[in-house]
Amino acid sequence: MATELIRQPVVERRKRPWHKRIPERWYAHVILIVAIIIMGFPVYYAGVVATQTNTQVFNYQLTPSKYLSRNWDLVVNQRQLPRFMLNSVIVAVVMTTGKAILSLLAGMAFVFFRIPGKWLVFGFVLITLMMPTEVMAIALFRLVGIQLQWGGYQAMIVPFIASATATFLFRQHFASIPSELSEAAQIDGANPLQFLWKVLIPISWNAIAALFVIQFLYAWNQYLWPLMVVQETALKPVQVGLRTLVSGTETGDSFGPLMLGAVMASIPPLLVFIFLQKQFMSGFALTRDK
Amino acid sequence: MRSKFLFVCGLLLTTMVLAVPVAAQDCTAESPCVLDALIGFTDHRLEWAKDRAVEFGEMFPQFEVVIHEFSDYEPLLDSYILAQEQGDPPAIMQLFEVGTQFAIDSGYFKPASEIIGDRTEVMGQAVDFDDIIPVVSSYYTIGGQWSSVAWNTSTPILYANQNILDMVGIEELPETWQGVEEACAQLQPLVDDGTITGCIVWPNHGWFYEQWLAQQNTELVNNGNGRDARPTQVLLSSEASINIVQWHQDMYQAGYYAYSGVQRDWPGTVQAFNAQQLPFIMTSSASAGGIMMNAADNDMEVRTGMMVYDADVGWTGNILGGATMWITDGLGEEIEDAAMAFLLFFSNTENSASWHQTSGYVPVRNSSVALLEEQGWYEANPNFLTASIQLGDSQVTIATQGAIFGTFVETRNIITQAIEDAMLLGGDVAAILAEAEEEANVLLEEYNLLYVDE
Amino acid sequence: MFVVSPLILLALAALVGGGGSAWLFRRAAGAETTIRLLPWSFLNERREDGLTAFGAALGGSAAIVGALIFLGPLNFCPFALDDDGQADSLNVLMGMILFVVGALLVHTLVMRLALRWLRKERLLGALETRPGLFRGPSAWLIATVFLAPTIGILGIFLYYPMFDTFLLSTKLARLGAPRTRFVCMRNFNQLLSDADYGRTVLVSFFLAVLIVLFSLSLSLLIAQMVYRPMKGGRIYRTLLVWPYALSPVIAGIVFQLLFHNTAGVLNHMIDTLFGFKIDWLLRPDIAPWTVVLASTWNIMGFCILFYIAGLQNVPQDLLEAAAIDGANAFQRFFRITFPLLSPITFFLVVTTTTYAFFDSYGLIDFLTAGGPVEATTTMMYEVFEVGVEARNLGSAAARSLLLFTVVIGVTIMQFRFSQGRVTYGN
Repeated sequence: MATELIRQPVVERRKRPWHKRIPERWYAHVILIVAIIIMGFPVYYAGVVATQTNTQVFNYQLTPSKYLSRNWDLVVNQRQLPRFMLNSVIVAVVMTTGKAILSLLAGMAFVFFRIPGKWLVFGFVLITLMMPTEVMAIALFRLVGIQLQWGGYQAMIVPFIASATATFLFRQHFASIPSELSEAAQIDGANPLQFLWKVLIPISWNAIAALFVIQFLYAWNQYLWPLMVVQETALKPVQVGLRTLVSGTETGDSFGPLMLGAVMASIPPLLVFIFLQKQFMSGFALTRDK
Repeated sequence: MRSKFLFVCGLLLTTMVLAVPVAAQDCTAESPCVLDALIGFTDHRLEWAKDRAVEFGEMFPQFEVVIHEFSDYEPLLDSYILAQEQGDPPAIMQLFEVGTQFAIDSGYFKPASEIIGDRTEVMGQAVDFDDIIPVVSSYYTIGGQWSSVAWNTSTPILYANQNILDMVGIEELPETWQGVEEACAQLQPLVDDGTITGCIVWPNHGWFYEQWLAQQNTELVNNGNGRDARPTQVLLSSEASINIVQWHQDMYQAGYYAYSGVQRDWPGTVQAFNAQQLPFIMTSSASAGGIMMNAADNDMEVRTGMMVYDADVGWTGNILGGATMWITDGLGEEIEDAAMAFLLFFSNTENSASWHQTSGYVPVRNSSVALLEEQGWYEANPNFLTASIQLGDSQVTIATQGAIFGTFVETRNIITQAIEDAMLLGGDVAAILAEAEEEANVLLEEYNLLYVDE
Repeated sequence: MFVVSPLILLALAALVGGGGSAWLFRRAAGAETTIRLLPWSFLNERREDGLTAFGAALGGSAAIVGALIFLGPLNFCPFALDDDGQADSLNVLMGMILFVVGALLVHTLVMRLALRWLRKERLLGALETRPGLFRGPSAWLIATVFLAPTIGILGIFLYYPMFDTFLLSTKLARLGAPRTRFVCMRNFNQLLSDADYGRTVLVSFFLAVLIVLFSLSLSLLIAQMVYRPMKGGRIYRTLLVWPYALSPVIAGIVFQLLFHNTAGVLNHMIDTLFGFKIDWLLRPDIAPWTVVLASTWNIMGFCILFYIAGLQNVPQDLLEAAAIDGANAFQRFFRITFPLLSPITFFLVVTTTTYAFFDSYGLIDFLTAGGPVEATTTMMYEVFEVGVEARNLGSAAARSLLLFTVVIGVTIMQFRFSQGRVTYGN
């Protein structure tokens, strides 16, 4: 819901005398390391528990144990976590790609075309920023689930494939492109499609990548909506699929499998985040999606 | 150009997903028709059901029964209703006893009697409903018709870890509330020194409340517990009702009842008992299978007793709990018959007996009981008999037959919440129940406005 | 039978709306030299009076239409008397709000357009003169094709459900029930007179305020330490911000393990070190703090990331100059750094608030399931509980709309505080 434009941070290493440049304040390092340990402990412990039985958890064992393969068998073979993760990947990739295409086109239309009443159309898109889907989830379910009778990938993807914030991102990006570029293209006799394909897309890869990272995380983390709309087990995304591991069974272990599932479900977004941190920042600096 | 590559990949995937193939098929061994069945188990009971589905598939290769597991009955029902409204309902669902009236009102299901008609077998599977034990048939036949196929029937019983009881020298299992309190007082030193984390636990779930209400021969709704006519009032302010919630509050405040803080925590409570954190648990007789397996693995001596009652009021009887299997309406004759055949196979004499041995659910057929006695099962496993005795000894009254009304599922949640309020917040139990009663009555009134013809 | 006749209400709307517009038009006619001639000559004979009359008529009808957009479909039911001839004051209040909001909305819109038209401006705005725009019919067609999917999807999957939510909120509706019933404002009345709902609203705001405070202050503190180039700075930064990539669901699962009543390792540590335990998930007065803790852990990395970027943009010479002038570290921070960071702080307040109100759903669902004793049931959580688990669609829609007013509030706040820094439209 929030769209705030923040100037891209300029990381500028100012030249300062060496003794000022590296303030070796040892206590800063200590505080930071403690902070990192505190931040990391929950996930470290979850990883440890993923290798344990319930009895070991009840005994507060802080070191890994040898039951990983048993928990793995439950999570992977009996509860189909890989299938849930595949669903999440498909939904995230398709939704993100679709969003990139639609908002690229809309952004281009807003910047490079003369449309009567542009502000009206733009206002129509703008107002949706105030309408988070969560608020109308019940009515959206009536539309998508009951009237359209969708319950699978379509239901998870199509309603979210257009986005006001992504459109703004491209509009903003295109508006910063000098108008000489489109003038020159027109003089060369390029039609809008050629201009889009030959000029706009090649110079927009950074913006597309930024959008991709943010939207991938957004799509991967979606929970409430798929929980409502997807009833078929084989089509559930991983955030919802984790529910099949909650509280386990009366006879089996509950903590280990759930933690293993949680750790597995965290790997893709963590990889995306760590490797594409820069794109993530630049994307978010422009816009934050609902 | 990593991002370019991603983009192109995404494009390809988009195309693939949007071109979803639609296939209609006849049921053949090469491409079997799928029957989805929703089941509220995730443990060895799920495995048992999956094994039966495989056996059925071997008998009838043109059909494939796919079992979908749910952690509990409530989410199962939620999911079924959503799927039904989305126009893609599964063929078979397991519905708990309190959903009966709603299931009939919803029009989602086809009564079993209607599917069977006057046949004595469906696809070679015998129909023999006269064989069903009376307490089950009286609960699930409505207007002389079978609405669904009986499968799992249970009642809450008390399990005790004798190893822990031996530490303080308790020999006899408590039978009453007062007995539990005494035993807990005796066990308190073990709690204090950290050997155990509490004395007794049962899931905080309206089911236990309903059982205690029946024990005190008190009805939950008016109009003959909903059996004479549609009820218009939920009765949560009765003396018996206040008595039950008051006991919860007392037990919690005394530190005897070890609340996990999670409502409807069926697995968590049993896990705590299995990990020897508590000497007593009251839970469904259907947990007997799992608890005895765990006990055997860990050298625990587990004994069972009947559900405890208030000695000041006395014991009238317990209500049956559990679930039956319902078949969705509008499947088409071929699938419908296949679903029925599967359920008949699922609950035939041998399978009912083996189901009882796996889980601890009461065998629903007289012939299964006979088979088990013949095999000497009960002599070897007396803990599996407790539930049958408890149900068998119950007097049949309006109260012990159990209530029937459309908002039973929601009302159960309201009761569960009220009990949690009474325990965690303290305060006047009667006031908490009065508020809960009002809430339940509003729901019932709204339900009647929407479902009952004027 | 009505408390106030709908006709009287409409007359009132016409009177106030018409009067307001008459005044507006008269002022416009007096102030501006170039103003459009009215199309009907009799109105032009005495221009000011003609314009005033025209404004009155236009404003009056706009207000009537506005009053009708909400109350018309409802058939003025909030003002209806019940069977006993009694009026419900809550109903009437709600009716008045709908009446005023609807009339104001349409009236403002029409007046804006009308004044534009009077000043001879194009109603839909001037065409852009930016060079390099594609023109001509084929360009127009392409633009339409480019915009159509976005507009279509937003219209179908956002605008229509919004509209449907309004309709649903006036009904008694259960998922799967054979019929629905129109109940006017009953769903809202039930909520407004329900102490439990009041608590839910309080819980939502309590959580939001604490999550914002905790995550922003802690992350600013940490960012202060790592924003300067230092040994291992990149590694520190990555190791501090990664939890943001994890979903609220994962955060809920992981913290549920840490805070577990019997198996929780955190309590075990506290017990070993200090000899007491905390009922993280069992006590209604502690559980909200547990949710705050987990949420802060989840979202703090995001705030650190932005504060680092912000701090790197604070001119060091300014700080050095202040240091030379004798300002101590605290003074430098509160007088210089913090004010310079305010755009980022504001952005983070909005994002974190959004997280607390909406995204925290998954976390709460796995950590506390809204308990104990509904102490962590937020407005969002309740919408799902009522609408999906209890299948009470009407009441859930009413709850959604009340939640929606919060969103509008946050958005307005956002526009207010960020004026001049946001560049949206033309």
